[in-house]
Amino acid sequence: MDFKLSEREELLRKTVREFAEKEITPRMDAMEETGDFPVDLLKKMGEMGILGVIIPAEYGGNGLGNLARIIVLEELGRVCPAIPMALQVHHMCTHAINAFGSEEQKKKYLPRLAKGETMGVAAITDPSGGSDVAGMKTSAKLEGDKYILNGRKCFITNSHASDIWVVVGRTGEAGAKGLSAFIVEGNFPGAKLGRRENKVGLRGAITGELIFQNCEVPKANLLGHEGEGMNIAIRNIVETGRPGMASVGLGILNAVLEQAVRFANERVLYGKPISTLQMIQVHIAEIYSDLEIARLLTYRVGWMRDQNIRCEAESALAKQFTCEAAARSARKAIEIHGSYGIMKEYAVQRLLRDALVTIPAGGTAEVGKLAMARHAVNMFKS
Amino acid sequence: MRIIVCLKPVPDPKHWSQLRLDPKTKTLIRGDIPSIINPLDRKALEAALQLREREGGEVVVLSMAPPNVIPVLREALAMGADRSILLSDAAFAGSDTLATAYIISAAIRKIFPFEFVLCGDQTLDGSTGQVSAQIAEFLDIPNLMHVSAIETHPECGYRVRSQIEHGNMWVKVKPPVALSVTKEINEPRYITLMNILEGERKTIENWSSKDLLLTEPWVGLKGSPSQMAEMFIPEAKRRLEMLSGVPSEMGKRLADRLHRLGYC
Amino acid sequence: MVESNIWVFAEQRQGRLADVGLELLGKGLEIAAPIGWKVAAVLLGHSLSELAEELLIYGAHEVLVADHPLLSSYCNQSYARILKNAIRKHHPEIFLSGATAMGTDLSARLAAKLRTGLSAHCIGLELSSERKLLAVVPGWGGNVLAKIYCPTTQPQVATVMPGVFEKPQRSNPRGKIIPVDVNIKPEDVTYQVLEIEKREIQEDTLEKSEVIVAGGWGIGNREEWHWVEEVASVLNGAVGATRPPVDEGWAKEGQMIGQSGRTVHPKLYIGVAISGQMHHMVGIRNAETVVAINQDPQAPIFEFCDIGLVGDYKEILPPFIEAVKRYSA
Repeated sequence: MDFKLSEREELLRKTVREFAEKEITPRMDAMEETGDFPVDLLKKMGEMGILGVIIPAEYGGNGLGNLARIIVLEELGRVCPAIPMALQVHHMCTHAINAFGSEEQKKKYLPRLAKGETMGVAAITDPSGGSDVAGMKTSAKLEGDKYILNGRKCFITNSHASDIWVVVGRTGEAGAKGLSAFIVEGNFPGAKLGRRENKVGLRGAITGELIFQNCEVPKANLLGHEGEGMNIAIRNIVETGRPGMASVGLGILNAVLEQAVRFANERVLYGKPISTLQMIQVHIAEIYSDLEIARLLTYRVGWMRDQNIRCEAESALAKQFTCEAAARSARKAIEIHGSYGIMKEYAVQRLLRDALVTIPAGGTAEVGKLAMARHAVNMFKS
Repeated sequence: MRIIVCLKPVPDPKHWSQLRLDPKTKTLIRGDIPSIINPLDRKALEAALQLREREGGEVVVLSMAPPNVIPVLREALAMGADRSILLSDAAFAGSDTLATAYIISAAIRKIFPFEFVLCGDQTLDGSTGQVSAQIAEFLDIPNLMHVSAIETHPECGYRVRSQIEHGNMWVKVKPPVALSVTKEINEPRYITLMNILEGERKTIENWSSKDLLLTEPWVGLKGSPSQMAEMFIPEAKRRLEMLSGVPSEMGKRLADRLHRLGYC
Repeated sequence: MVESNIWVFAEQRQGRLADVGLELLGKGLEIAAPIGWKVAAVLLGHSLSELAEELLIYGAHEVLVADHPLLSSYCNQSYARILKNAIRKHHPEIFLSGATAMGTDLSARLAAKLRTGLSAHCIGLELSSERKLLAVVPGWGGNVLAKIYCPTTQPQVATVMPGVFEKPQRSNPRGKIIPVDVNIKPEDVTYQVLEIEKREIQEDTLEKSEVIVAGGWGIGNREEWHWVEEVASVLNGAVGATRPPVDEGWAKEGQMIGQSGRTVHPKLYIGVAISGQMHHMVGIRNAETVVAINQDPQAPIFEFCDIGLVGDYKEILPPFIEAVKRYSA
């Protein structure tokens, strides 16, 4: 078992870190203010290869893989967690099309997503509840050579910056077996953008509503087969969504540790930096251990995915642990800052808000624990 | 056209707080501090790549360093260099700038012909800023330092902007020529994920003293005219020099000090 | 016959002597005096008689002059060749020049030509008991100092940072001017200077500024804030501030340094009436040279400055600004 990153992965980390520090840092104030994603950076991100990290080279990506993707998102998140939040959902869209799409669909949509001509969306959550995927109400009726979609998708990341939506809707019976997935373009008749949400954190990742009013989707845009929708949704979440969210949390944890330690080394009380005080050191040790554990859990999922090993429980664990750890560590970092921690000029309060948003996004902790329990319960059956 | 870029791996400044001074050997113990490409050398490489984009040719990166700097050379290939050559030999250790320049010039002689030797003006660690001019001397070619722009001149030469105090000189040069660059020359490109894969497909060459024709003795610690008598970490970082006198005198003396430091 | 053991490169460009050459002449004379050595100033260029006289007035024992039309514009290879021939003929122990654009370039080629060692950007010079030059050089961004010497080769060459040493006093010239062999052909000038232009000093944003002048609470009131702006203006720098002047409206939010991690990297920072609390000092800790002016001798900023002035800024700054304007003219 080799815990070292390869030369390729180290260089990857380095170059993305440089890109993030130079290109994203200057945009952060505006992002926090408006909640908008810097879409003009999409082209540069496309050129960097960030958007196509899990798209095979033949469709315009670089196919560096899932562990590489995690490192990319972590480094971007170290600077600004809202960015990997948006990008990880973009990757979910590319994964759904790459894993389940026909050759024509892949050729048509993946190069555009790799280049950054538009952002991608994975629209699974109905107002009826993201935790109850099988119960969704959005309908998709086949009429001639078109599917007619009706319904709404809410809490959709990248909604207002995206023209390529992977949408799951009901084509058949009630329950999981009746769901199907589609590739919907934003300009299809009947497709509309709804409200934009005003989040307390991860501002810069757009969250909003997609509305389908007799939306016409060509038959050729059915993703996979009818009835495969639940499988596509679950695999999309397990294989791409949860590790993506965990990467956002990892980015936050990195930023939290750095902010906490820098402040503790500079702030002088009783004639010495507060990093010499034991109680501060306990906080720092706990943040450090959260970061290290989260990183190991998350990288492992990336590795498992690259080896094509099933990882439902591991991926749920990485997401649930990391996002929870990000929130509690950000809280500790705020306390290390004393009263400065609750001032908007300091980054730590934003990091706490960012972490809070990651907890329900991409799957609640409760649903994650059910996934882990399912796995653990089967481990020691007689 | 062939452009040779001399690159030095230097310890990452983010980790310099981990450096320790060994009082006996008078050297800095580097430990495990990772190396980066000296920032100005990266700009030299970027300048080389831009020249190649304008006029075609080959960019060869040369680095005299211990063997553990392969990642740095790989990074240079990922950035776009065509060849990366590591000059490494225990015999080279302890070389001062004269020996370093001599060894590098011997290596460059094996890569004839060339139009340009590009370097960064100075390194983060040694910061002597001498090596490029000394390489040029050993190769008997012209050199210019503090270069902030390289342009192609219509009458088959090149127009180079070189910084001097409070101004710039525009100078016409004809290759082969050695140029060392300042931070104003360019912003190096990002290495994309695709570049990383391309870089892995190129090979890194390894040269030692056996591969070079070294006829003069300027090699390694024994062959270095400059020797270190002492090395120490200065106590206070700031000079803490208090000016005295009545306020008007202090004001004038401060102005004089700033004038001598070049601020007015 | 040239008797000087210490040669100092009297850098000149377009007929103006660089101060650093004079500073090194001063240091050379200081080193030479107790051991009876002589110091020569070395001058290359064209139409140099006035400059040569100047160097004698500054105390040089000898002024070696290489005067030729082909030398009127600096070219490192031709200058280095002439210097090398002179050095090999007259065997000085030590050759000093300023660590300027010209000096670093010329000394590097010259030292290589002579196959000798070169100590760069020195901030100190000493003579060892064996009369060898010990050069104090900074490394690792100034975090480490080393003393370098050349035990086996001659001459010992060093370049020295401007402003480290003092110019000598002017007095009656007592030395002599000695012409140096100049054997130069047009093809020895290996590059052609097309033009020289002035360079604008960048000062658009605080983070990019080379010079920052910051004011603090001690300025006292809005009416006096203009002193900070005037100093900044006369030095071509940017205006910075601590929190209180911004709160009071004397300065803008964007000029505040230090709060919430805003860090600057100027070459020169001058803090006027700033006490030196943690936030601000952390923000300016990367400044190359820190100058502090404050009435309170106990102000914390005096523990973190390179040059400190205890006094009322209203009395210090007017003569300061006057003097700077005279230099810049």
